[in-house]
Amino acid sequence: MDKQVVISARHLKKAFGKGENIQVIYSDLNIDIYKGDFTVIMGSSGAGKSTLMYSLSGMDKPDGGEILFDGTDITKLSNDKLAVFRRKECGFVFQQIYLIDKMNLMDNVMTAGVLTSKDREDIKNRAKELFSLVNIPEKTWRKTSSQISGGEAQRAGIVRAVINSPNVLFADEPTGALNSANSGAVLDVFTSLHQKGQSIVMVTHDKKSALRGNRILYIKDGKIFGECDLGKFEQDDAERTEKLDRFIKEMGW
Amino acid sequence: MKKISTLTLHNLNKAKGQYLSFGVFICLTAFIIHIALVLAFQTFDAYDSLFDKLNTADINFIIPQIQDSNELLTEVGEIDGVSIVEKHGGVFTPVTVREFADSDFDMNTVFYNLDEKRTLNLLEVTATSGESDSSVYIPMYMKELGGFAEGGSIAYSIDGKEHTYDIGGIVLEMQYGNYGTGMIGGYFPEAVYEDFVEEYSDNVIAEYSIKTTRTADLNEMKNTISEMLREKGIALLNINDRDTAKQTRTMVCTLLIVIFLALAAIILVVSIFLSNFRIRSAIEGELAQMGVLKAVGYTSNLIIASTIMPYMLVGIAATVIGIALSYAVLPSVAGILAIQSGFSYTPDFDIMALLIVILTLTCAILLFSYLSAGKIHRLEPINAIRGITGDESAGQNILLFIVSFGIMVLLSFAGTLLYNVSVKPDNFMNTLSEELPSVIFMAEDDKMTELKELLANDSRVRLFMEYASVPVSYEDGSLTAFVCEDFSKATNDICYKGKSPVKENEIAVGNAISDRYPIGSEIELTVGEQSAEYMVTGYIQSVNHAGAVCQLTSKGYGKIGDTTNSVNVYLYNKNADVFIKEYEENYDAVIKSSVNFEQMSENGQMMYTGIVSVIVMILFVISILMVLLVLYVIIHSMISRRRQEFGIYKAIGYTNRQLTVKTALAFIPVVAVASILSVIAGLWYLPAMNNIIFSLIGAVKNHFEVSVWILIVFAVMFTVVAFVISVLLSAPIKKITAYSLLKD
Repeated sequence: MDKQVVISARHLKKAFGKGENIQVIYSDLNIDIYKGDFTVIMGSSGAGKSTLMYSLSGMDKPDGGEILFDGTDITKLSNDKLAVFRRKECGFVFQQIYLIDKMNLMDNVMTAGVLTSKDREDIKNRAKELFSLVNIPEKTWRKTSSQISGGEAQRAGIVRAVINSPNVLFADEPTGALNSANSGAVLDVFTSLHQKGQSIVMVTHDKKSALRGNRILYIKDGKIFGECDLGKFEQDDAERTEKLDRFIKEMGW
Repeated sequence: MKKISTLTLHNLNKAKGQYLSFGVFICLTAFIIHIALVLAFQTFDAYDSLFDKLNTADINFIIPQIQDSNELLTEVGEIDGVSIVEKHGGVFTPVTVREFADSDFDMNTVFYNLDEKRTLNLLEVTATSGESDSSVYIPMYMKELGGFAEGGSIAYSIDGKEHTYDIGGIVLEMQYGNYGTGMIGGYFPEAVYEDFVEEYSDNVIAEYSIKTTRTADLNEMKNTISEMLREKGIALLNINDRDTAKQTRTMVCTLLIVIFLALAAIILVVSIFLSNFRIRSAIEGELAQMGVLKAVGYTSNLIIASTIMPYMLVGIAATVIGIALSYAVLPSVAGILAIQSGFSYTPDFDIMALLIVILTLTCAILLFSYLSAGKIHRLEPINAIRGITGDESAGQNILLFIVSFGIMVLLSFAGTLLYNVSVKPDNFMNTLSEELPSVIFMAEDDKMTELKELLANDSRVRLFMEYASVPVSYEDGSLTAFVCEDFSKATNDICYKGKSPVKENEIAVGNAISDRYPIGSEIELTVGEQSAEYMVTGYIQSVNHAGAVCQLTSKGYGKIGDTTNSVNVYLYNKNADVFIKEYEENYDAVIKSSVNFEQMSENGQMMYTGIVSVIVMILFVISILMVLLVLYVIIHSMISRRRQEFGIYKAIGYTNRQLTVKTALAFIPVVAVASILSVIAGLWYLPAMNNIIFSLIGAVKNHFEVSVWILIVFAVMFTVVAFVISVLLSAPIKKITAYSLLKD
């Protein structure tokens, strides 16, 4: 069965700086993201992984090319239309989490939830379900980010990202600031969401995180340098790990 | 609204102190503007309403009763524009009121029969304590400024005799009212009045009270009456009118309104800069958070709305509180005004003032906070999340500079006002009046030369000159002419453009008619049947006559009127009472009458000093409060922003004291520079500011001196106070520990 393309980007261009200091990130990049996939974007530091992900999600505008997100060219949307697009279509998980300071976890989630639903009770109920999915107990919902562990905060960040049932969940190094135990718990949440059909695009340079994806893309020299199909994650196994190791070695990691 | 309610509440909660300080500013602004507006909307109406309620006459004049006749009553009634004439009896005499605000108070006084039936100039007894056979009812002005009260006693010295009366009550009247009107009333119960009349039968007068038709020109009518009396050889002891009395009695109110509005404008500007700083600071400090909000789908307008909504909510609440508080204070403010105005009223709820204050402040907050938050539009979410550092310190320094400069403007204005009222009172009095002699002598007919010889040979006399105020007519009405033998000798130069007349065909005209008569043009003046044309050489001001004045040389006036027998005498020392007594005793045949102008000036100064002191105190308190709140916002923001840096300083061995002083000192250069620049700029803006404020009450030219030393003292005091406040506000640095910060 053919996979359904959810994001299709063609001839993307992006550069930083001006004149002699210009740094071209990519000049003619093409990529497709498929519905239901857990796509992992890997690459060396400065390769443009995050830049690509933020372009695909409408967080940042490319300098050229087109990005069709469910058929809509988001490069042509105004900033405010992009904001409305993001609230409906995208969810974001960041390395530094960025929960709103001094606001409790429930309110952090509600802050995103009220953007798409008029019924606060509905949002609250969905938030409760998601909190239990990510194993955050009720007594923690009223705590602020400074009162909980990094792992709990990141799981709350994931709840905020998926509260509006986004078409695609984007994650930028979601375990980058976490210890091993917390990383595992967060990755389990991603896996769980993927198993429920959530499309995910994750940028990482962490192999353990990458193993959770089913499709690995390697970005190098401003283009998708290679692609590896790992298949759906069930559990850690040596064969899967070996396949990924081989792939990234081929890519020159 | 639903979408931003959580964020708005969160923003409100996380920076309560900041919003509180903003709220205090807005509350203060609303408080002051509302007081100014209620005074502006209600004082003048209250005056008019009381004037109408007491059916006060538009013009009153008094003549010796002995010269009165039924024929005169008929003739006055036939003057064009007169609708009602009513005669009252009275005793007119100069008196010295003992223990008036702990001093002697000289004032021309008319004593009336309180029980006389009258339809005009009704009297309202506002407080009583029971009558005795030696009761007197005093006007409210005597109570408010003089410190007398019903149930107490009052001593008058009349013609060297002391009279003590029980104060039976306080009378509200709109005929005289205060020092500025030059006359005051006293009211005896009938029996006491009859005894008084018997004792001072030579001073019994007839008072003509006139109600005019709506279109009548009061100046013209006063002129007609003066001429009529002059022709009949009847002495006009005093004439006053509705407009002059109103302007005199509401002058301080007008000044207060202007000062309050200026003050409120300064506070509002500071509030706007404060909210601007706070919003920009919040955007800088919460860049990543704003980026995340954009990432999850908040539009720029939603984020801006959630940022400015707390300011709107706090602003509206503070405005309402400020307005409510103003109603608690308004009766006291009206009470302070009563000291000068001689009438009191209770300010009512004023929907118009309320709406103007709420709309003005709400629109100002909305507009300026929206402009401050406009930067959010330009934030790219990914750049915001990755963090863009802004130049906060520049914003902080600009805010501190503007606030310091603004407060120094307030302090400099307050200091200059106090200096010119208390230390150099002549400057203030010269601004509001014309000449300020020690004594005014009226010479007997043909005795002017003799009087001048006496004065020329008196070593106590610094200066003397013929000077008189007389009515003259011109095409459109009448003017008060200041007639002087030589204006170059005048001690108060009221000419604000061009020059005073030197030749007999020259004239300087008042600001009320300056637009019609450019310098170089001609104006025809008439007294009785005599007319002459004069060339305008300059413009003069007069607060007390609403600018309807002119200056003529004695020779110039001689072309149309009789010689004036009035001489202004300026003494080296302040002993006018002794001087007058001696002259009246020794030169009775030369001196017709005399006025102790020195005492009158002191009484006026006493009244203004009291009111100005209150205004200055208010300005000082508000200035300190503003410094406190602004430094609180800046220091609080700075400590929050630099917690980690302070932690590192502590880790490497800095003490709390060193960090506190270092922090406080960081603000001093900006405050000091603002203060120094304010002192330098003050030499320019203070005269301009004084000119603008005083021109609103008719004083186009003011004589205020700007003392550089006063400004320097204020600048140093302000800088020191700012440092002390900064040290105190930096105290929370003590609570920061190196460990907790490094952990952050």
